Amino acid sequence: MKFALGIDIGGTFTDLVLSGASQHALKVLTTPDDPSRAVVEGVRSLLLNAQIAATSVDRVVHATTLFTNALIERKGAVTGLITTAGFRDVLEIGRERRFELYDLNIRMPEPLVPRDLRLEVAERTTAGGAVETPVDESALHRAARTLLDAGVESIALVFLNSYANPENERRAAAELRRAFPGIALTASHEIVPEVREFERSSTAAANAYVKPLAANYLDGIRDKLRALGIEAQLSLMLSSGGFTHIAEAKAAPVHLLESGPAAGALAAAHLGKGHSRLLAFDMGGTTAKLCIVDDGIPLVAQGFEAGRTRRFMEGSGLPIRVPSVDLIEIGAGGGSIAHTDSIGLLKVGPQSSGSVPGPACYGLGGIEPTVTDANLALGVLNPDYFAGGTIAIHKAKAEQAIEALGRKIGLSMLDTAWGIVNVVNENMASAARVHIAERGRDQRAYTLLVTGGGGPVHGYQVAKKLGLKKMICPPSAGVASAFGLITAPARVDRVATIGLRLDQADLARLEERFRALEAGALASLAESGVKRADATIERAADGRFVGQGFYLSVKLPAGPYADRAELRAAFEQGYREKFTNTPPQVTIEFVNIRVTVSAAAQSASAAGSAGAPAPATHQAPGNRKVYFKESGDLVDTAVYRREHLPAGFCANGPLLVEEDGSTLVVAPGGHVTLEANGNLIVEVA
Amino acid sequence: MNAPESLFDATTLEVLWTRLRSVTDEAAKVIVRTSFSTLSIEANDYSCVLTDAQGNSLAQNTASIPSFIATLPATTRHMIAALGRDTMREGDVYITNNPWIGTGHLNDISLVKPIFLAGRIVAFAATTSHVPDIGGRIRSAEPREIFEEGFHIPPMRLLAAGVPDASLLQLLRTNVRTPDQTVGDIFAQASALGLMESRVQELMHDHGLTDLDALAAQLFSLAENAMRAAISAVPEGTYENEFLTDGLEEPFRFRVVVTVKGGEIHADFSGTSPQQPRAINCVLAYTYAMTAYAIKAALLPDLPNNEGMFRPIKATAPEGSLLNPRHPASTGGRAATGHYVPPLIYGALARVIPERLMSAPGSPLWIFTVAGVRADGKSFANVFFYNGGMGATAQKDGESATSWPSNISSTPSEIVERDTPFITHYKRLRPGSSGAGRFRGGLGQEVLLENRHDGPLPVVFITERLKFPAPGLVGGGEGALGEVIVNGKPLVDSRLQVILARGDTLLLRTPGGGGYGPASERDPAAIERDRRLGYE
Repeated sequence: MKFALGIDIGGTFTDLVLSGASQHALKVLTTPDDPSRAVVEGVRSLLLNAQIAATSVDRVVHATTLFTNALIERKGAVTGLITTAGFRDVLEIGRERRFELYDLNIRMPEPLVPRDLRLEVAERTTAGGAVETPVDESALHRAARTLLDAGVESIALVFLNSYANPENERRAAAELRRAFPGIALTASHEIVPEVREFERSSTAAANAYVKPLAANYLDGIRDKLRALGIEAQLSLMLSSGGFTHIAEAKAAPVHLLESGPAAGALAAAHLGKGHSRLLAFDMGGTTAKLCIVDDGIPLVAQGFEAGRTRRFMEGSGLPIRVPSVDLIEIGAGGGSIAHTDSIGLLKVGPQSSGSVPGPACYGLGGIEPTVTDANLALGVLNPDYFAGGTIAIHKAKAEQAIEALGRKIGLSMLDTAWGIVNVVNENMASAARVHIAERGRDQRAYTLLVTGGGGPVHGYQVAKKLGLKKMICPPSAGVASAFGLITAPARVDRVATIGLRLDQADLARLEERFRALEAGALASLAESGVKRADATIERAADGRFVGQGFYLSVKLPAGPYADRAELRAAFEQGYREKFTNTPPQVTIEFVNIRVTVSAAAQSASAAGSAGAPAPATHQAPGNRKVYFKESGDLVDTAVYRREHLPAGFCANGPLLVEEDGSTLVVAPGGHVTLEANGNLIVEVA
Repeated sequence: MNAPESLFDATTLEVLWTRLRSVTDEAAKVIVRTSFSTLSIEANDYSCVLTDAQGNSLAQNTASIPSFIATLPATTRHMIAALGRDTMREGDVYITNNPWIGTGHLNDISLVKPIFLAGRIVAFAATTSHVPDIGGRIRSAEPREIFEEGFHIPPMRLLAAGVPDASLLQLLRTNVRTPDQTVGDIFAQASALGLMESRVQELMHDHGLTDLDALAAQLFSLAENAMRAAISAVPEGTYENEFLTDGLEEPFRFRVVVTVKGGEIHADFSGTSPQQPRAINCVLAYTYAMTAYAIKAALLPDLPNNEGMFRPIKATAPEGSLLNPRHPASTGGRAATGHYVPPLIYGALARVIPERLMSAPGSPLWIFTVAGVRADGKSFANVFFYNGGMGATAQKDGESATSWPSNISSTPSEIVERDTPFITHYKRLRPGSSGAGRFRGGLGQEVLLENRHDGPLPVVFITERLKFPAPGLVGGGEGALGEVIVNGKPLVDSRLQVILARGDTLLLRTPGGGGYGPASERDPAAIERDRRLGYE
């Protein structure tokens, strides 16, 4: 029997999953000095405990936050840039725009390459793609030599207009690889052949910045897994939710930056299987994440920002133009601190108490009330069984902290506690509304899927604020992301900037361009062991009506295209889905064309779900007083243990369902049903 | 403390205000998604506001640029006065681009919609957005009267009970170069208004509210008290400042007297040069927006905008001056004047609270416009923006080549080369252009463009600080002057149209920001870093 192995390295924990005829999971502490150590030790004990031979593992899928952390903490390689004469400051000048309007002391993110490591060479390609000046090769050699002598470990090569014709950039890259064997080099057209020099430079620089680290790490973990006897090919989770093989991951590690969150989103998609419109809502200790999942596939954006200087502020990070699961991060979690602002209103977060000192109830010196303290005071959380009984909790300390805040705003302890929860719920709901509106979706069509320690606690009220009728609470799968990994399809994305006006389109040439992208993507997928016959090819275009300042990515039918009207109709349909109306009589321009080649997860072992309910020993629910706004007071509330719920269980709120990682809250008026697959389905009143 | 104070507690108020702001942010996304105007998207040149039933601002979208502070609520109040509350019906949408009632120039079209609940007006939704074209001359300083600047829409109905005014639309379409885009953008705004209407109605339903009056009163009084408290931290007194700017034949004089008293700030611009027969006049609404922006950024940057916050801030300027022109003054390039207001005010306040302020940046924004006919016979027009350096503060060096007080991106060189006949030889930081100081100003940038167009190519500039540099604060040095150089020769009058032939070059050097504090106090490590990175 064959098994798939999922490995998800996060900042604190490394999650391991073996899935085949049986399922096995293990959570171990991440070893930051050498993350592969925890993996190797964990996999060894997982195999041993499950009595599974290493040779029966036929697939290994891996996600890691290692590279994104290196970027955030600025612990990547010393990176240099070689660019077209006249353009060394592109990385530093950026978009010339502030991410915050009123801060006179604003600090824009520092470029990954400082000015003295950005060198220029004479060469030029026009926007039309004509090579006007060939690369000055001796200048190129000198530049590379200067950088290497200055201690540079990785070089990004970005020439102006290389999106239109990469010839000069390609030649220069070949020459550098020839003259400096083993050099870590990133040529921008190989990563992101898209118009806009700042975004392309930023992406290429980020790739160069993590490239040596990625090579070291990926080779290391492959060798160590082999040493364990696992011969299966290692696949890496991409930010887009697809995966790739090790050679491509080493060449373009920038595609792996968001692999952790992507695995989380895929896990949510998997847990909510059967629901066509899902809002995946994960709330942890410091942040909440939200992602739209349509028809089982998390929404993918064509770019994101890495290493924001202000964590939750759009524009404060480095633009990375690669496909990435489209999720927002909100500064709201169990540890978020409640306080009053300059006009005396109650604010919650984004500051967080972290794990030390933690919420006031930990008794570790935290005196400011947090969201967790408020939930404890309201009776929602169980002081005797906090985090499965692993942490000792002092409810009185939580109440004291909340009372002190309540005195400032003239509210009772309970009203203040409810206020804290209500404010943090509104913060999440408001962020969700704007996120959903930005993507042209109607929130009311969605079902909320709650995960993380806080998702089940806050989901009901957030759903209510958003006007959602239904919520899914899957069994607390502490290693859900690792399951997401082994259910992911193989996927390769390719893009090219073509700047084609439909009224002047040469359809044969367009078909050629699409075919070339598809051939590249298929070849790459073949290296992951996917057969051509199993691959699905999807085409898309980033288009706009001429004059518009943005692009919209729309799906296109397979080619070749009979006439321009076919393309126009496809674009207009995608446009209407998002914006309702199309303007009349305006020409369409395809700025970029995109190809996605994918294949369903290969191993039969991927079919497993995170866990169906074990046959329950029926137990009467417990009972405690819980505050609900709907009741206006503390009311007697049934408290169930999730593992004891009988098949076919259903009940009316108010009620709580406790499990080790979280507590599901259902307010008065709500209704809950246990489905055969282990999901709790909540009807929201 | 009056009666409404007790109606909402600190948590309910926070929840309601957060939700109101998210309504305006949601509406902003609708505008971004459906606009044709590059300006709307790349420059955030739009704004969404919710007001109470009297037209006082409850919430404004987060990314709204400074130019629009307090303008939309004022537009709403003008609409109420001009059309009469009694004539307003459900489904109405009002429109204007009158610079004095709106945002200061014809290109911004403002819409206002009354929001009804149970047959009563409970709020107004208002939006403004820079449309792709409004007719008249291509953007330059040359128009002498507003009549040359484009199609002028007085306060009137765009939709009467949901029905569009076909005559207005036909007139508008006939008078602009981009009828589909301009009208499309107006309807994008109308969709945003519709969204705000339904969201406000849902919110009131969810919270059992029949009006927003008490909520508004409480929010305004809290914000007003906060601003008064912030102003009270500034020593009371009268602080003056004046400086000269490039002007036309003669320099312009900008003068302000800032009076801080009893928790209020009054900026009086008496002594400022008279209005000019060029499109650089700045209406009082814009002057006020810049004044309020400067005060808020210095004293109360974190609190979201609402009407109450701006009550303690007053701005006056003599009628007929650059900062309060009379009809029919032309106003298209108002930013070239209005952007001087914040550094003018900071120069006055520097005597008492320098540590809260920023030295003058290398703004106003530079704009240059090209228009011509392509080989295929189609006409084109492109607008480019370039930014100088930000000023230094008591805490840090100014950011280089960054927009302030506006927030406009410059066009990427690859887009310039794709869409226009220019090739860029360089676009780089301008070493040595920053004002010296304990903290130095931000660097300007230099851009060398070459024309590859065969026919004659007219270009028009709006540039500033070619003659008078950005001053520093408390002993900081001034930033470098801007320069516009055509074929190697400095341009004598950058406000005149220049005709470029093929191969002609255009070098733009934007001004640096002013420094903060004496240069002798600069940290040697910072000096060494500047040298190593070639910023000197």
